[in-house]
Parts: sequence; structure tokens; C-alpha cells
Amino acid sequence: MAKAFFIDTTLCTACRACQVACKQWHDLPAEETKNLGTHQNPPDLSFNTYKLVRMNEKVIDGQLRWLFFPEQCRHCIEAPCLEALGDPGAIYQDPDTGAILYTRQTRQADADAIIESCPYHIPRKGPDGSVSKCDMCNDRVHNGLLPACVQACPTGAMNFGERDAMLEMANKRLEVVKAKYPQALLLDPDTVSVIYLVAFPPENYHEFAIASREPSGVTRHMALRKMVRPFAAALSHLG
Amino acid sequence: MDVSRRKFIQISGAAAAGVAVSHLGFDLRPVKAHAQMLKTQYAKETTTICCYCGVGCGAIVHTSRRGDGRVINIEGDPEHVINRGALCSKGSALKQLTENTNRLTEPMYRAPGAKEWKQVSWDWALDQIARRVKETRDANFELKNEKGQTVNRTTAIASVGSAAMDNEECWLYQALLRAMGLVYVEHQARI
Amino acid sequence: MTNHWIDLKNADVILIMGSNAAENHPISFKWVTEAQKNGATLINVDPRFTRTSSKADIYASLRSGTDIAFLGGMIKYILDNKLYHEEYMLNYTNASFIVGKGFGFKDGLFTGYDEKKRGYDQSQWAFEMDDKGVPKKDPTLKNPRCVLNLLKKHYERYTTKLVSSVTGTPEADLLKVYKAYGATGKPDKAATIMYAMGWTQHTVGVQNIRSMCMIQLLLGNMGVAGGGVNALRGESNVQGSTDHGLLFHILPGYLPTPSASIPSLAVYNEKNTPKSNDPRSANWWQNRPKYVVSLLKSYFGDKATAENEFGYGWLPKLDDGKAYSWLDIFDTMYNGKIRGFFSWGQNPACSGANSNKTRQAMAKLDWMVNVNLFDNETGSFWRGPGMNPAEIKTEVFMLPACVSVEKEGSISNSGRWMQWRYEGPKPMGNSRPDGDIILELGLRLKELYAGGGAFPDAILNLKWDYLTNHKYDPHKVAKEINGYWLVDKKIGDVTYKAGSLVAPGFALLQADGSTSCGNWVYCGSYTDKGNMSARRGQEDAPNNIGLYPTFAWAWPVNRRIIYNRASCDPKGQPYNPNRWVVKWDAEGKKWVGDVPDGPWPPPQNPDGSPNEAGRYAFIMTKEGFGQIYGPGLKDGPFPEHYEPLECPIEKNLVNGQRMSPVAPVYGTDADAHMTCDPRFPYVGTTYRVSEHWQSGLMTRPQPWLLELQPQMFVEMSEELAAMRGIKNGERVLVASARGEVKCTAIVTKRFKPFKIGGAVIHEVGIPWHFGWRWPESGEEESANLLTPSTGDPNTRIPESKAFMVNVTKL
Repeated sequence: MAKAFFIDTTLCTACRACQVACKQWHDLPAEETKNLGTHQNPPDLSFNTYKLVRMNEKVIDGQLRWLFFPEQCRHCIEAPCLEALGDPGAIYQDPDTGAILYTRQTRQADADAIIESCPYHIPRKGPDGSVSKCDMCNDRVHNGLLPACVQACPTGAMNFGERDAMLEMANKRLEVVKAKYPQALLLDPDTVSVIYLVAFPPENYHEFAIASREPSGVTRHMALRKMVRPFAAALSHLG
Repeated sequence: MDVSRRKFIQISGAAAAGVAVSHLGFDLRPVKAHAQMLKTQYAKETTTICCYCGVGCGAIVHTSRRGDGRVINIEGDPEHVINRGALCSKGSALKQLTENTNRLTEPMYRAPGAKEWKQVSWDWALDQIARRVKETRDANFELKNEKGQTVNRTTAIASVGSAAMDNEECWLYQALLRAMGLVYVEHQARI
Repeated sequence: MTNHWIDLKNADVILIMGSNAAENHPISFKWVTEAQKNGATLINVDPRFTRTSSKADIYASLRSGTDIAFLGGMIKYILDNKLYHEEYMLNYTNASFIVGKGFGFKDGLFTGYDEKKRGYDQSQWAFEMDDKGVPKKDPTLKNPRCVLNLLKKHYERYTTKLVSSVTGTPEADLLKVYKAYGATGKPDKAATIMYAMGWTQHTVGVQNIRSMCMIQLLLGNMGVAGGGVNALRGESNVQGSTDHGLLFHILPGYLPTPSASIPSLAVYNEKNTPKSNDPRSANWWQNRPKYVVSLLKSYFGDKATAENEFGYGWLPKLDDGKAYSWLDIFDTMYNGKIRGFFSWGQNPACSGANSNKTRQAMAKLDWMVNVNLFDNETGSFWRGPGMNPAEIKTEVFMLPACVSVEKEGSISNSGRWMQWRYEGPKPMGNSRPDGDIILELGLRLKELYAGGGAFPDAILNLKWDYLTNHKYDPHKVAKEINGYWLVDKKIGDVTYKAGSLVAPGFALLQADGSTSCGNWVYCGSYTDKGNMSARRGQEDAPNNIGLYPTFAWAWPVNRRIIYNRASCDPKGQPYNPNRWVVKWDAEGKKWVGDVPDGPWPPPQNPDGSPNEAGRYAFIMTKEGFGQIYGPGLKDGPFPEHYEPLECPIEKNLVNGQRMSPVAPVYGTDADAHMTCDPRFPYVGTTYRVSEHWQSGLMTRPQPWLLELQPQMFVEMSEELAAMRGIKNGERVLVASARGEVKCTAIVTKRFKPFKIGGAVIHEVGIPWHFGWRWPESGEEESANLLTPSTGDPNTRIPESKAFMVNVTKL
């Protein structure tokens, strides 16, 4: 049974516990940053930053909103990165959790192809050419623990569990939130394992909050790979 | 302390069985082993209360039983009724407060006019401090104030701190300061 | 907090004002969010739109330093619209008390003002007494001198129009807040206030909080679930360190420090023990002598005897009327009169107001002891910016303390919960628990004084037996704090054995030396049943409101909501049966639910007749009533708006006094202050961010946290930035009359200019977490280089939240 996250951005206070908890559990080094005129830091995801709370000030219908978007890999149900690479030793999907996992062997893979394939612009290249991203804390999940970011979240913005349960929670919460924010919606709930609830149109949160309306930027290189993938079907529709 | 009964979320069928992917026809053994093994598995578990703000969140400290005996992980305590496993960014960084190469680990001394610190022993430092207290206290002790009232104090020594100490340490510290005759006794609560 | 963190979920309305809970007490939002999910309204009032504001149902801005105007307007709104909870007000507050004819108020001054002393004669504000010496009351509330009518008169001036012109809050926003909050005057509704240093760090700090206490009393929100007045304490054990008297004016358990005019224990007890002539007032402080003697027995053990007044003479005494507070320490040190200094687990070079003065003062010391986890701006002050080490004669001893997870002991959270922590790893390197260092220093002093010295008795007679196997033993101290029976004693049918721990609580403490107790409010925390603070019980109390009575231990006597008897009507039945805290079981003749504020029955029998055995609900006040009128403060019985020491307007728009007429002002050359000076035209305020903590010493040396907030910044409106030609992300200089700090500009829609008395006033905000020592670039400095040395006349907390600055491009 696949797992899913439900991230209710209407409850996020941008305390950024998730961001640090992720680094703590994964022993990821801090980046050297500067204050760039915003509280958001680091400025973007990176090889060493799998989780980032994006912060945007928007005036919507005449009212100031400070919007927070705890971003991470969506663990797509049919992951373009996995399909793009077509090397199960380098990227594979854990059939028990649905986590899309990069392994040590991604180092030998075509990093740019992986990066280009992602409609959410998540994977990042390291100095040695390998790519990294959120691994759903697969080790924790297999041992009955919540992902570090979910465990740390104080308000219930971050949730994790069985996909069905998360979808149900998301839909219920959407109904409640809509009373206050009529434009509220769930982002790509059918195709990803990390389902966001946003109060306002997604472009207010982040350029890549949803997969682009066009078929995700499948490169020619990727398309070729896709044609020869021998096993992808076996892993799809885990949900 | 009993934290063994902690109830974590249940993951149906996955936890014990490991990752059954061999039918895929490629070798995921390293990944599999990694997925099954928690870095905290053999660690000593103790509970703590976060040392930052006044909410008083509970956390679990995982300390290595092998090697250097240092902290491997600190995360929120799901059985703590206030935070239920949650922590903020500071609480989530507790491990880095502890395992931090910037920490002071030896007593240091700076002589009058010196440009640098010098490492000293505890014995020497405490001995010198006790002597300074005595010299200053003895030279400045007031049995009576200007009005001739009994005051039994010294105003030549002051102390600030600390809300960062445990209750028992705070109590000991104020008892000692008052026995020393200090009236300039303050700490974070004033500011 | 009168209530506690989990209890926030029980509120119908939450006002976050003077704090930024989402950022600075992030886990409080677990319970704030829970309340909102249950339908609560979250109101946030702050000069700047914060992460807290982002989650609020109602946000209103106000200019820093104008909270009393804002809240005074709310008091007027509640009174004008009769939104108060009348039965509660009559039964539990002093609204019906008649104030003596000495009280008056004119042109911003209460009666009894002495300009030379910058102080009031508070005796002029006393209540009118009947022939038994009990305050006169008028339950019809018709007497023009009863508290309610004086209150109405006092706040008549605080119209929304006037308030808006002072605070800069749009009138419509004021009304939104007043209406939502005022709606909780209904008996089954509760509202809570979450405040922190945004209210305390002002020359009117205490009165800011008083204003809210009065509102809570008017609305019947004290003692109830989801109510109370809740200070969000900023440090993990600032509650405990205060309880244990690490302050000049109190000994452990809020016992006043003896002063020079009190030569004996008998006089101490006489002067400090309030007497009520009303037999129905519990007047709990009448027990003070028991707590003082038990404390002295803990200090001096067998050496404390009835003959030597239990060692009262060994305690140092304060000069009457003189303050020995933080500001006074550094003023005296700056004037070269302090020779030795302990900075223990604190970083005054960054944390107190007017840091330049503090740093200069340290250069005049002979010696300093700095105990900390990291090297800091205090220990290394002699090599800081602008210092010439060769000229600085101060000797510095810097001692490495270990981290809290490396030792055992307890801390007390904001909700008064004492919680035990355990040792994980051993202390790193040669670092040591603070307790070890304190004990060791004490032992060495005893050794030195055994050979003679000035007034050796106090040191030699100090009971200092807290070692086990040559190491500091926190359990021994925790037991001492709880207290022991020192002799066999029979009380009623029970014989308490010498050597046993006092339990269940302080009601058993004795004034004859037969008990010891290091801190009476902690009596019951460590008993023969074990260490109560280490408990982890998961079950809630029968009222199911999140009290968790067997998880940890709360002072006093494990009471989770204080003043809880006021949650019931005079017959002892809860005003809100769905969220009851305690209720009187008339048949069983006992209270059930939370630990009640004393065992006495409610004031009325079930048939409504008065019960003479009953006691009033507010047991810690002499009269037994919540104080809407508070005659005990230095700056008046009703809060009144005064401008900060440094402010942007020449004239107080509410009264004829510009600033608090009794706030302390210091006079060294480092104490410059500028009001309405064109060189410093903008209001400045300080605050914290989620990712750092206090002076930053426990967060700045951490890469993960520095990654999130790497640099000193200043937040300002787009309007001000445009005016000053400042672009987002640029480095700028923020300066006050006392210092300057380089900052990165965050130009934001979250700050807006204020309209004050017809003029446009800009405000900027800076975090106070930085200092030159960390990060290692040395480029980030402390906001307290800018803040002034003045403060509240009652508490002397510095006014760090409102001062005047300039901002220029670098």
C-alpha cells in the first residue's frame, strides 16, 4: 500500500522545523547563505537541501497574504525522473511506500536528464555530478516512524500515512478551507504522493507548485529512454 | 524512564518484511539494507526537554553506545503531551547544539592586558576565582550601610544568570550568592 | 501563565499581542491551530505583519509603545456596550469596592505625585474601609467612587478616534478586535491572551499587562479553561529561575529580599505578612512566615535555630528604596564601582539594553567569570569591536558548561510545569554541569573562609551537602527544594517522621523550624512517592480539557489552571459545563477536576444562601478579589497611556505627561536619548525570529540555524525604503543616539507607515539575536547597541521595544 503526504499550506507557519529536521535526520551540511531581503533561506533547493519552505508576500483581493509552501519531491506515482533514466539501479520506486529513491548509482547517471524531466523542478546536482532529493525518509517509514519533516511539524500542516487516508483527509480539509478561501484547491492529487492544499491559485506560491499544463517537459533523450524501459509498468499505479 | 512503549504509526506489513524487490531482476541489496536499518537502532535513548523557549517540548536523545558515545539524533518525543513529537527549527537542531566544534571544552583565562586566551585547568581556575571572590569581598564587605543599619553585604561583586540553568542549579547558585553577601543578583527574567 | 500551553485549545478567542507566538513559541501554534479548528477566532495585533499574522482571522497594526491606548479603548468599548460578565465582576473582582477620597487623576498624573522623587505616595489610592477594616463595597455599583464607575470615568477619553490617532490603527480594525474579544464576556465563552516581551519591555510594561488583566476580569476570563493571562516565557527555565529568586528583589518562592530597615525576622514577618480583616478572605500570604523559616532551614540547616532567628542575620540586606536591577548593575559598573562580576549562562554584552554602555562597563572590572557553552561577546568583550586589549585590565575566567542533554535536572516551562531531563552523552571534553561548578566554588570558598575573612558565618554556615560520590547530585537539591520534616511531628492524626519529604504540599510547612523547604511553591514536587516532575502519564483528567495531571508536575500543588474556582458560579457550578475546570460536589463536600485553589467550599450553598466557610476565589490577594483597581503599583491604580522615553511626537495625545512620570532615567554620558529629533526620525523596535534564540549565543554557532537566518537585518515598509532610496537586500546603517548597527534591508509590505495625530510615522524592526563573535565574519552586531537604558518603574525591565532610529544607505 503506497504512502502519501498531505501538506496543508493553510496551517503552515513557516517555522521551518521541517527544513532543519530533514537536514538533521539526513546529516546534511548547512549551506553558506546571505540574507537576500527575505526570510526564505536557502534561496532554493539544492544538493544538500531537500526541503525548503518558500515564502511569498502577495496582495490578493486587496489583502496582504504571507504564503508559505514547504516544498519537497512529490514522489510522483508515475515518476518522470525514473522513467527518464530507465536505470532501476539508479532510480527506483519502493513498491511498499511509493517513494522514488535515488541511489549511489545515480552518480553514474545522466544528471541533467533527471533534472530536466522533473515537472516540479526538484532534483539538484552535486559537485560530483550526482543528483539528490527527498527520499521520503524511507528508512524511518520502513521502521514505523514518520518522515522527519512530518514528525517535526507543530500545526498539522505536514501529514503522512496511507494514500487513501491522506486523500480523504485532504478532501475533507479542502471542504473546510473553501468556506474561508473559495479558490482553495489540491495540487495534482491524482498523480503525486505529496498532495498540497493551497488557499489561492498555485502560481502565488511557486512557479513549479503544480506540474505545467503541458505534458511535463519530456526531453528527446528521455523519450527515447521511455520507449525502451523494460519494467516501468510493473511499478506504476502503486496507489 | 520508560520510552520503549512509545507508539509510533503503524506501517502495514512493511516494517518487518523489508523491501521485497528481488523480482525486479536487479540488485538492490545495499539500498535494502539501508532502508531497513535505522541509524538510531542500537542507540541509548533518553528523554529531554528542549533548552530554548518556555514551551517545554519533549525530545528524545539518541546517544551512540559505541565509539565516542556522542549524540546521533535528537527528535521530538511523540509521547510528550505538549508537543506530541513536534519541534521548531531550533529544537530540530538540538543535535548541532550538542555536537558542535565551536563549543568551549576547556577552562580559559585572559590575564589583564593580554591579547589572547590561555587554556588552564579547572583546579587552577576555580582556585583563582575563589581567591578573587574572597579578596574583593573582604576588601568591600559592608556590615552597616550609611544610615548605620545592618546590611551584611558586598556591592562590589555582581552576578547575572541564568534562566538557562536547571532549577536545582538555580537554587544552589542563589543560595551561594546570598551567602557571599551579594545584592546585585539578576538574570534574564529582568530583561 | 495562569493557564498552560495545551489549554490554548479551549479558547473561543485568542489574542496574540505583544508576542509573536508562531515565530517565537512555535509549538504553541499546535494548540492555537487546534483552537482555530474548533472554531476559535485568532486576533493578532502587532506593528508588523508576522508569521503569526499570516494565520490570524483578524490582524491589526499598531505603533510600538501604544498598547495601553489600544487596550484602554477596548475597556471603554466593553463598558459602553455592557459586554462584561456582571455576576463574575461582582463576585470575583473589586469592581464594587469603594475607593477612598484620596484618589484622583488629572493631566496625566494620579494624586500623590512627587516630582523630585519621580514617584507617587501610593497610600492616597487606598480603598475606603468599614469599621472592621474591610474595604467598603457597593454591590449596586451606583456609588460614583466604586471601582467600576472610576474605571468608566478614567477610560471615557479613550474613544476609538483618539486611540486610532495614537496607535495608528485604523478605527475599523480597532472595532473588529474590540467586538470579537468583547463577545467573550458571555459566561460560557473564553478568551485568552498570549503576550511576551512586546508588552513587558516598555516604560509602561507592567501597566500594559494590567490593562489586559482588567479586561480578562471584566469579561470573566480568569480561572476558566481557554482563558487566563498568559505570559509566553522566552527561556526554557526562566520560570524556574524566577521562582528560585535569581533576582535582587526576591528570595525563592517570591519572598521579598530583606531590606536594611528590617533588622530581625520578627519585623520581616510583621512587615511582609498581609493581614485581612475579612474572615472570608483566604489571604494566602498570611502563611509567609512558614515559608521564610523553612527556606532559612534549607539555607543553613542545623545552624539555623530559633535563637539565631534561623540565620536571618546572615542574609544580605538591600537599602530601602534602592533598586539593584540589571540597569542599575551596569550603571554602577559603568561608574567603576563594581570590581568582580559573574556572567553565568548569559550574554549581557548583547542581551541587555544599551550594549555599548554594558561593554564599556565591563572594561572597568577587576575580574569577570563567564560560564557558557560557547565563547561569547561577554567573555571576549576585551577583544571586541573598538576595544584595545592592552588597555583593558579585566581578568577573565571563561568556564565551559555542558549542554542540557549532558546532565540531569529539571526545568519549569511557561505553564509552570516542572519537567525532569536525563543525561544522554557525557559532557563534551572538559565541560561540566553548572551545578558541579557552583558546588565546587562553594566548597573552595568554605575552605578559604575557614581560615577567616569578612563576615565568614554566612559562608561557613551555608548547608552545602549536595554531593554524591564527589559529584553534584541534582536529586539531593530537588529534594531540598521540596522540603523535609526535620523532627517527628504530629498534625491531627498523622505523624510525620523526621527525614521524610514534605508531602503533599506547602500547607504542611511550619514556622517553628520543624520543616525545611528550599522553595515553598515547589513543595510536593519530590516526595516519598518519587520525582513528580519525571512523570509521563498519558491520561487526561475527567473534565477532558487537556490538563494531563499525571504528566510532569505543575506548581502550585499540581494545579494546572490557577484561580480555577472563579470558573464556577458562587454555588460552585461551572459557568461553562462543556469545558469545566473544577466543580463543587455538594454531597461529597469537595471540589472535583483540577486541583482547586484551596479546599474551602464555594461562597454560596446550593440554595443560594451564603456559606460562611466559603472563601473568595482570588486567594493570593489580601482581599480575595481580582484587582480591576490596582493600588499597589508605582505608576498608578489604572493604566494610562504615556509615550516611550524616545518617541516620534512632542505631545502625548491622551494627557499632559509625555512619558511615564515615574520611569527611571539614567544620566551617564552613555545614556543619551532623543525624542522628536530630526536625526532619528523613525520608530525602532526589536524582536526575535523563529530560527535564533535570545542573544543568539545558542543558535549563532550552529550552521543549520545560521543557514536560515545568516545576517542582521532591518525590516521596513516599501514607502520608507522608497523615501530613503533603499533597495531590498542592500546593506544599510541603523543608528540611534547610542549606537549603530549594519543590517540587510528587508523591504516588505508587512510594515506599513502609521498615521499618528495627522502625521505619517515610519517604524522599522530589527532582531536582537546577533553579535560580533558569531557568525565568524564578525560583521553582524547586536540590536541592543541601539536601545536605551530606561525601563518600567515597577520591574525595571529595559524599554527595548520602542525607541528612535535613523536608517541610511551604506
